[in-house]
Amino acid sequence: MIVSEELEAIEPLWKAGLEAAYSAYIPAATGLGEPQAARVALAAALVEIALELQRLGGQAPPPPPDLLRGDLCLARASRLLADTRDRRLQIAFARAIEDQSAAAAAGREAQPTRSRLLRAIGESAGAAA
Amino acid sequence: MISDRIAITTNRPTEFVDLTSRLQQAVERAGLRTGRIHLQSLHTTLGLAVNENEQLLLADLEALLKRLAPAEATYLHDDFSLRSNVPEDEPANGHAHARNLLLQPSLTILVEEGEILIGRWQAIFAVELDGPRSREIAIQLEGEFARRIADGERRLIELELERQLHADPRPVGDPMRRLVEAGGKRFRPFLVLLTSRLGPDHDPLRAATLAAAVELIHAATLVHDDYVDESPKRRGRPTVAAAEGPARAVAVGDYYFAKATRLIAELGNADVTSTIAEAMEAICRSQIDDLEFRGRYPGDEAAYLKVVRGKTAALIAAACVAGAQLSGAPAEVVERVRRYGDAVGVAFQMTDDVVDFSERSGKPMGQDIRERVLSLPLIYAIEDASLGAEIQELLAGPLPDDHLRRVVDLVSRSGALERVNRQAHGLVRAAVGELEGVDLDGVKSTLVEIAESVVDRHA
Repeated sequence: MIVSEELEAIEPLWKAGLEAAYSAYIPAATGLGEPQAARVALAAALVEIALELQRLGGQAPPPPPDLLRGDLCLARASRLLADTRDRRLQIAFARAIEDQSAAAAAGREAQPTRSRLLRAIGESAGAAA
Repeated sequence: MISDRIAITTNRPTEFVDLTSRLQQAVERAGLRTGRIHLQSLHTTLGLAVNENEQLLLADLEALLKRLAPAEATYLHDDFSLRSNVPEDEPANGHAHARNLLLQPSLTILVEEGEILIGRWQAIFAVELDGPRSREIAIQLEGEFARRIADGERRLIELELERQLHADPRPVGDPMRRLVEAGGKRFRPFLVLLTSRLGPDHDPLRAATLAAAVELIHAATLVHDDYVDESPKRRGRPTVAAAEGPARAVAVGDYYFAKATRLIAELGNADVTSTIAEAMEAICRSQIDDLEFRGRYPGDEAAYLKVVRGKTAALIAAACVAGAQLSGAPAEVVERVRRYGDAVGVAFQMTDDVVDFSERSGKPMGQDIRERVLSLPLIYAIEDASLGAEIQELLAGPLPDDHLRRVVDLVSRSGALERVNRQAHGLVRAAVGELEGVDLDGVKSTLVEIAESVVDRHA
């Protein structure tokens, strides 16, 4: 339910990778309980897809519509995390994006986004248990 | 120092007129934070006093004045045969002059934190002794005004931005520092600092962090916008995309979106986090709308307002709300400043649109038209029965300089600029109206000043 409500203006992304990413985060987020798990898994998937859309770390820049859709994904992820009121997760996700973008700007490799976010979710779920 | 007059009309021969709330309003209007308000009666039969506003007590005091200086007693002042140059309308009022000896011709009241300093039962009165009449009381306010606070707030914003940017990795920090150092109005962070004074938990350092985060969000949107719009310059310098390449611009924007989000989360106020997150979502949603509407350029008023509410007004309103929430301001105050920010934000964008048609704007005239940015003057001008068709025809083409000049000329002749100006002024009046009747702890005058400055930009 949460997921379908949160796809406004980015519906095509669901079948273009967002669904798969969401499914990858759900097992780690389950420990947070509902509705938090769905929110957090979707937030993580949105971050991952946003950075892909924006070709962060790539040589070629994204087309402007992709950049803006990526911005919307990041902003929506941020709002979903705000809805969870889980401050630790908000900070961890933000740090992950900071690290990814700083590495991209410096032209160096960064740890994969998914592993960073999965670790953050795992720590938060562990703390909640 | 600010000077003013308070006018009153009395209805009875002896009357206690409570000035307390009017003096408090004068303090708020002037933005006096800490200092003094001096009052001086400009009449020989109007005194000043501080006492309790209780009706029976006031009757007692009136009776006391009458006992001490009865109207029926003999006063040489009332024997006009003994006086020279007596005006024709001179009243027999020796008793009123005598009673005035018992009162004060002037008072000084202290002001602290934007409030006149009086005890629980104290009220400040003008005492009419020879009414009914129209009277004036001179007031002067001196001390520390909000404007000085504003100077301090601005310094605090700059220091906090510098502090935040200092620690960032150079590939993202250097381009952002150049953008921030190039200037900007700091409109949004200033609003954060002002509204952060509205609640009991005011903490200047936490407010400064929030203010800097809000400015960084704004700056991050500019970095991405400039890439989307292919703008070569921003604040007179090459844009991040132009100077560093689009890929770097994307990374810089993302970094500061994330950093700002983290700074706000670290403040640990869930309401503030939600307010800013919702505003960021509204901004990004409207950026997509904006791009789509450009395909249907110049669009209509409804589309324009939808985009402007998200793109410009959302963060301005959120800045007002988040500052107030951070300080624990009452819900009604939070809602009032939200509506204030929304109206100011829309007025701000409308004025920006008008400025685009000015030769004195500091940027190439008609730049927004060339970039196909939604513009309310253009939307209105196209509604003009005699000029609209030609404007639409020109906009449909590639817009060389002479066509652009023609569009600017036609829009000016259509009266659209005046119409947009009137609307922007109306919004500012509505914004100022939102500030009435709520306790704004001395920042009201600065908020009013900010709202008015939004539509007073000619260039």
